[in-house]
Amino acid sequence: MDELNWKELEQIPIPEGLEERLEKKIDEWERSGPSLSYGHLPLYGENHPESISLGNKPNGHPLHRGRGLGRGSLWLAAASIALVFGVGYYFLQKEETVNLAEQDTYQDPLVAQQEAEKALNLLAYNLNKGMGQMEKAKAISNRTEMTLNKQLQVLEK
Amino acid sequence: MKTIVKIFLCVAMLVASLQANAQVKEFEKYADTKNVTYVFISKFMLRMAGASSAPSVPGVNTKSIMNKLNGIQIISSENKNAIARLKTDAQNMVKQGKYELLMQVDEDDQKVRIYHIESKRQSVVVMMADEGEEFTIIVFSGTFTMEDVMKMTQ
Repeated sequence: MDELNWKELEQIPIPEGLEERLEKKIDEWERSGPSLSYGHLPLYGENHPESISLGNKPNGHPLHRGRGLGRGSLWLAAASIALVFGVGYYFLQKEETVNLAEQDTYQDPLVAQQEAEKALNLLAYNLNKGMGQMEKAKAISNRTEMTLNKQLQVLEK
Repeated sequence: MKTIVKIFLCVAMLVASLQANAQVKEFEKYADTKNVTYVFISKFMLRMAGASSAPSVPGVNTKSIMNKLNGIQIISSENKNAIARLKTDAQNMVKQGKYELLMQVDEDDQKVRIYHIESKRQSVVVMMADEGEEFTIIVFSGTFTMEDVMKMTQ
């Protein structure tokens, strides 16, 4: 794709005199305006006559204040990076287990149904067993209560 | 500082949303534990099966609860060391998860404990069956109530 674009671009004819005009314009910019700089580094070097180090103009007025990364921003960036790495590491660690655990053991719904019913029946069986014992205990308790009531009635007479 | 708090909240919500699924997370680790058999039946499979199911055991109605289940996890082992580890882990999980003991059936050859927990998100019933040489944990999770569970036995 890039090759095609380059080839196409190369085929486009350059207007006559464009190069000279551009050179002229750049020379004009260099003569009239201050040099561009990034951060505290001058674009031309410290000894260049047109270079202006960031902070002050030659006449002493501040050109602009450099907006470097403050402490807060550095902490924020560090915290964000740590967070992203932490979360990524956590999920990478868990991925294998989660994948294994989240997979359905049975691919056939009928086999899954049989296993599910077996499990539910086992639960119901054990619940019934417990409830059965509870019913027995209840019956014994009721019988004891009835006998006690009868005895109390006899005593009252 | 506010931005950091916002980022943390977003990540916490993301993690929480990824965590929320059909399975009871505490028991998922047995999926790749040596000498332990782990079976998981998903909600999807249960729904597919539920559509054509008929009661296979007389007096037990599993169909009503089957539709409310989100998943069943079956963890079992016949290995002594694995059983010992499973028992300890399961007891710790039950304590930490604040499960309530629903029923305890002790017989000569089998000891069964049934625990349950109900929350807004889902209900869980855990059945532990200790048969000496074999230890099984069955975890039922879903949107059922205890009434639904008891109805199954009527």
